[in-house]
Amino acid sequence: MCRIAGIAGLNRNGDERELQVKEMCNKLKHGGPDDGGIYRDDNNNLVLGNRRLSLIDLSPAGHMPMAYENRYHITYNGEIYNFEDLKTELKALGFSFSNHTDTEVILAAFSQWKTLAFAKLKGMFAFALWDSVEKELYLVRDASGIKPLYYSLNNSGMVFGSEIRAFNRQTQQPGWEPWEVYLMAYGHIPEPITTLSGVKPLPKGCFLKYNIASGKSSLQSFAHYSYSEWQQDADQIKRNVATRLEEAVKRHLVADAPLGVFLSGGLDSGILALLAEKFKHQQLVTLSIYFKEGYYSEKKYQDIIQLKLQCEHRQFLLEEQEFNQSLPEILEAMDMPSCDGINTWFISRHAKNNGMKAVLSGIGGDELFGGYPSFMRIPYARAIQDYAGSLTGMGKSANHKVLKRMQYLKMEGIHGIYLFLRGLFNPLDIARYLDMTEKQVWEILNQFPVYPNIRRLDKGNQASWMEFNMYMQNQLLRDADVMSMIHGVEIRLPFLYEDVIRYAISIHPKYKYGGRWPKQLLIDSFSGILPREIYDRPKMGFSFPFQEWLKSSSLVKNLMEGAGTMLGNSYKDFLNGRMHWSQFMTLVLLRHKKAIV
Amino acid sequence: MFGATGGIEKVCRIVAKALFEMTLVDRVKLNVMSMHDRQDQGDENRYFPTESFKAFNKKKVSFIAAAVRAGAKSDLVILSHINLLLVGWLIKKISPRTKIVLFAHGIEVWRELSPRRKMMISCCDHIFSVSSYTAGIVSKIPGVGSGRSEVLNNCLDPLLPQKNKGIQNHKLREHYGFSDSDRVMFTLTRLSSRERYKGYDKVLEAMVNLMPQYPNLKYLVAGSYDAKEKAFLDDLVIKLGLTGYVKFAGFIPDESLIDHFAMADLYVMPSMKEGFGIVFIEAMFYGLPVIAGNRDGSVDALLNGKLGVLVDPLNVDEISAAISKVFNHTETYKPNRELLLAQFGYDTYKIKLGNLLKPTTVLQAV
Repeated sequence: MCRIAGIAGLNRNGDERELQVKEMCNKLKHGGPDDGGIYRDDNNNLVLGNRRLSLIDLSPAGHMPMAYENRYHITYNGEIYNFEDLKTELKALGFSFSNHTDTEVILAAFSQWKTLAFAKLKGMFAFALWDSVEKELYLVRDASGIKPLYYSLNNSGMVFGSEIRAFNRQTQQPGWEPWEVYLMAYGHIPEPITTLSGVKPLPKGCFLKYNIASGKSSLQSFAHYSYSEWQQDADQIKRNVATRLEEAVKRHLVADAPLGVFLSGGLDSGILALLAEKFKHQQLVTLSIYFKEGYYSEKKYQDIIQLKLQCEHRQFLLEEQEFNQSLPEILEAMDMPSCDGINTWFISRHAKNNGMKAVLSGIGGDELFGGYPSFMRIPYARAIQDYAGSLTGMGKSANHKVLKRMQYLKMEGIHGIYLFLRGLFNPLDIARYLDMTEKQVWEILNQFPVYPNIRRLDKGNQASWMEFNMYMQNQLLRDADVMSMIHGVEIRLPFLYEDVIRYAISIHPKYKYGGRWPKQLLIDSFSGILPREIYDRPKMGFSFPFQEWLKSSSLVKNLMEGAGTMLGNSYKDFLNGRMHWSQFMTLVLLRHKKAIV
Repeated sequence: MFGATGGIEKVCRIVAKALFEMTLVDRVKLNVMSMHDRQDQGDENRYFPTESFKAFNKKKVSFIAAAVRAGAKSDLVILSHINLLLVGWLIKKISPRTKIVLFAHGIEVWRELSPRRKMMISCCDHIFSVSSYTAGIVSKIPGVGSGRSEVLNNCLDPLLPQKNKGIQNHKLREHYGFSDSDRVMFTLTRLSSRERYKGYDKVLEAMVNLMPQYPNLKYLVAGSYDAKEKAFLDDLVIKLGLTGYVKFAGFIPDESLIDHFAMADLYVMPSMKEGFGIVFIEAMFYGLPVIAGNRDGSVDALLNGKLGVLVDPLNVDEISAAISKVFNHTETYKPNRELLLAQFGYDTYKIKLGNLLKPTTVLQAV
């Protein structure tokens, strides 16, 4: 797990190029504190850079960028969980290896299978691989989009990096910045938008081939996930869900450095901890955060899981004062603004303070097995979108949050549904804050992202598709990556192991989403080990006491002082409990970025 | 698209993949509809995600209704076969602004079109032919003209596996009773008594000429066959005195194709009615010298002879001479990989397809 950066072309001399990549790497140093390296090929105008966080083969043999057969070079960020299997296969084909890293396996796999190798890698990854014979540079990103990779491509060359902060603002093309509109509508900046208009994320499951000699590039997809309804045997489904997740957890525990499990108190992380203990026994450490504010605290449920485990549990009490002290640092850590991810910042810091380098998290469970309210709400949203278009007009003048968002159902497809269910501000409000016309806001929101028509899918699978490809992709995974790597901690996601995903999305919706509780199938699959209290309980919304804490933040107060009337009124609304913290947080972020006055 | 393994199905899968990848970079939406497939046949395909794939399991009327309805709302509709002309024609009637593109592969457009099709083909704004040979015939169809006819050569499947580094050819040779020192010729095609135009019978005749010079010459013909054709070939082998020198492998699954190409020394198929001949570029991808006929789309696949040897498919002596020439100068006749990829690589195909389709925003492939 590391951070990567690099430059190909761009009409500079080798020293300048190297200097720029080193600068990019320095900006990403937090994500790779253990080692740093540069590969430079002046004949091909190429520099690859790497900051390393070592987890497998901690020796200098894992130094990056790494070379193979004197032909292939890689700078890589991620973990390949099936690398031992691939290594065995490659050894049988006559390949030899000089170290114990998964990095070298990627290189040998590419030497053998070329671009078909990418689909064989099961894990989370983003890398740049240089083939010095074909003069081709490949940027590659995993099928779930867990690891980020951004690039900027023009006639003179290409620049890439793990985070937006690595890019020079010079890559910014002049003009106006639509990301502000997206942030206010979504609460985050959805792919393919970024805060720098010349910089794009590489789509998940894709590789970009860039030929240095010709300057030509080609984007190809190498893996994707499609929903089906193959699995229809209820008993077999439960058994298979259990064995696949267990296998995934086992593979995610492979590390030569200390590793823990985030315990939220919920079902998904509970299952992961219970499974992980099987393989790691007493070596396992669970980590959690709790609050004095009883209503928000999940401590009771964390303790219930802990009682079933023999391992060490490190709980961390987060209090208002510390929250507010850390807030400035958190805003800087964000890379691109997002109204969420603060919880991940704290728990990752807690992990780091306890000597952990990698931690398992339950992201993906809600998306694949139906843990969100959207699974219930999507049929109604579709019905309004299809048959009651006139109702959407009511939203414009309405005061109620949900009615206001109903306007979004005017947008076709899953876009409209998402913003209705999860959007923050409606277009009229966005226009007012950003001093633009409502029409302009609609135009921007309609332009990107472009999503496929998913109506063919069952409603439950539509919700799953939406949560997986929109909310998880653009909010959860990005936030988790940035907020953990800022502390040099790697988050591993067993629910997003390829075998788990492929199986989950092939289960007939009838067996996947039915039942008394959300994620009933997960409950049934692990009924033997799961304490009843973990699922037979009222569902928590967001589990941080933000609404109260933000009110006393001096940073927020300073930012809001001197703001215009509109923002001032919003601050008052927030203080009086008339504005939700996530909406207010978005305004804070915009103010912080000097995007609104 | 997924229910059969023919060349046209392969083209459809590759086109759908290319179109899907266009949706990742441009503001384009894609719907893919298939009349013959079952929905589940597309489920785990590696070419494109199936959220927007709709299969109709041979329900012709539902397919036509749905395709026309969706097509009329689209900016562009691609018909993958002339049998879908009615769909395009209806769409054009309802939505004249919708651009219709027809893919022309081979014999399905070479034969005289029915009066109804001749009338309907005017709905097509463009016809993309897989070879210049097909395009030549298409442009002579009344109402089409050269202005609407374009050539879009087929390409290598981007999911074609790479040749293994140290592959053991020995085992497969042993399986067919060939020795390591044998010179093995290979043909892969369906063997049908009704479509005997692939030229394998002519290759058998040529073998008779070549046996004195190459006593270790062997011929492997792979592909499913009908009983009548198999009986004809068995008789022919006996009649020509080639017993023990020729093997009919029957159907071989896609995953073992690579081993067959790796085992052979030469791919030979002097066909008469090849729309393009994807198998030629696949054989060349695996480094095999290729001999093909000079009277059809094969001419494009071999790049007018730059990538392999073109022969008169009816002239047995010419076929014999070509085989002998290749065996005597194997290295000279190995295909130029760089040229092959530049011409028939998937990247090139995608660029050409993109240029031909521009400027459109909504895609509909049926």
